[in-house]
Amino acid sequence: MTDAQTHPQLEVRSLRKSYDDGRIEALRGVDLSIGAGDYVAISGASGSGKSTLLHLLGGLDVPTSGQVFFKGQTLAASDLDDYRARQIGFIFQAFYLLPTLSAIENVQVPMLALGLHAQNRAQRAEALLVELGLAHRLNQYPNELSAGERQRVAIARSLANDPSILMADEPTGNLDSVNSARIIEILTGIQKKRGMTLIIVTHENDIANAAPRHIRIRDGRIEP
Amino acid sequence: MPAQLSLTGFAWKNLWRRRLRTLLTLCGIGMAIGAFVALVGFSRSFETEWLRLYSSSGTDIAVVDKNFMNSSVDQGVVAKVRGVSIVEQAEPMIFNIMDLTPEVNAIVFGWLDDTYEFNSLTFTSGSRFRNGKPEVIIGDTLARNLNKKVGDSLVMQGSTFSVAGIFHGGTALEAGAVILPLDQMQLLSSMQGKVSGVHVRLRPIPAGETQEHYFKRAQAAIEAVVPGLNAQLATDRASNNQFVDLAHAVAWGTSAIALIVGILGIANTMAMSVFERTREIGILRAIGWKSWLVMLLIETEATGLGFAGGIIGIGAGWAGLRLLSVLPKTNIFVSTSLTPLHLLQAVAISVLSGIIAGAYPAWRGAHLSPVEALRHD
Repeated sequence: MTDAQTHPQLEVRSLRKSYDDGRIEALRGVDLSIGAGDYVAISGASGSGKSTLLHLLGGLDVPTSGQVFFKGQTLAASDLDDYRARQIGFIFQAFYLLPTLSAIENVQVPMLALGLHAQNRAQRAEALLVELGLAHRLNQYPNELSAGERQRVAIARSLANDPSILMADEPTGNLDSVNSARIIEILTGIQKKRGMTLIIVTHENDIANAAPRHIRIRDGRIEP
Repeated sequence: MPAQLSLTGFAWKNLWRRRLRTLLTLCGIGMAIGAFVALVGFSRSFETEWLRLYSSSGTDIAVVDKNFMNSSVDQGVVAKVRGVSIVEQAEPMIFNIMDLTPEVNAIVFGWLDDTYEFNSLTFTSGSRFRNGKPEVIIGDTLARNLNKKVGDSLVMQGSTFSVAGIFHGGTALEAGAVILPLDQMQLLSSMQGKVSGVHVRLRPIPAGETQEHYFKRAQAAIEAVVPGLNAQLATDRASNNQFVDLAHAVAWGTSAIALIVGILGIANTMAMSVFERTREIGILRAIGWKSWLVMLLIETEATGLGFAGGIIGIGAGWAGLRLLSVLPKTNIFVSTSLTPLHLLQAVAISVLSGIIAGAYPAWRGAHLSPVEALRHD
């Protein structure tokens, strides 16, 4: 059996993260494992440490102590760029689209990191946007799109490099209820269709409770 | 065909986003490169004109003392140099720069009326001066600047001369020159019995001997009969005289200051841009861009600014050179020709300026923590 079959896709052990020379402890010893293709919701109050946990799982930050494993291998600081580029697709509450680029160009940005051929990049970006119902908005700029459309462009961007894990940090935080439902429907649809791992950080109970696995964080620890 | 995004396209869009700042930065680097093109072009054209001055008259060697600016050689050495078998002709000459009017200065030569150096001149009106007579011939550019024609008077250092001829010279230096009899020039310069140097034309190179070897042999033979004086190759004298050295030093010094200002302008623009785009850089890092790719993007922007500034600078420099070539104070020293090497150098310097200016902002941007950068307002 291979490592991927014997180990969970993501695993953290005794994960701690503190800021301000240890005065602020965001995570206080978290152990967690997530299997490939799982759909996990992480919820908690503001400042509970849920976003910090997502950042550590996604290689955006490094823990103060403890370890993050991807398919049984420790994530080294030197591997994080490659890990984020190839394995992780991030979706943020504020969309974080680049304002100077059109929708289709925004989706191509992650592909620049992997050196894909220009024509392939453009074709793949177009296909993703079409898949997300934005065929008519390819050349619009972020300020010309609605909030829901912007988040769909951000989802297309997160899928650009065909990652194995999708991480969404409060993906519906800036959306109305109709668009929120639509985005969650899209994300879960993608997770099922592609067999991807989906980790959603949210403070909305409806969304968290709908996930097959719901992890609650309180004061930097996972609630039993 | 869906729109394709390239790194250079991305960089261009970032620059276009802040059009006014980009334009002002381009003006800054453009002025710096323009100063380089104009000033270094001026000094190089000055050097080239000196080279052409010697080559058009057929002078191979100049016999001078060690000080170019105030070279003073006893006129008796002319006969000694003429006695060297390898020498075909040796002509004494005096060289100086004089103010003819408060606005116009000119290179003034003293020649004998039968020197071979007349061969490079074409008279457009009048004829040669005569030894012993208060006569001058003047280049066509100077004639225009002074509005002089044959038969007019020209006052130099309080002495009045008659314009005997107007000539078209092969070089800008000649076209802006005054030439008068050697004896008259000696009186004017208080150099009785002295000359600035002796211009030598050698006999044809014997078959089987290289030019380099022949010239070295000639230098040694001449210096042997005039101890203490230098027999300099005309090409060396054109490139290494103090006027040309001074022109080069002023041009490079001024250009360097302008370039430093231009580099600081780009660095400031890029530093501001990186600061304003901290969150965007965080996004790039979050979606997997490695540090070097972020650096490459920022450096591409800075290099693009440098390159575009260089192109603008070449245009501005050429315009400056054109201006210098028509101003009475400078038109006798300069031609507007820009060599491909000079233009290539200007573009290379501007691109290098961009790379240098972008280095720190790029490094800073590339080393931002993704999480910290995403939190940036």
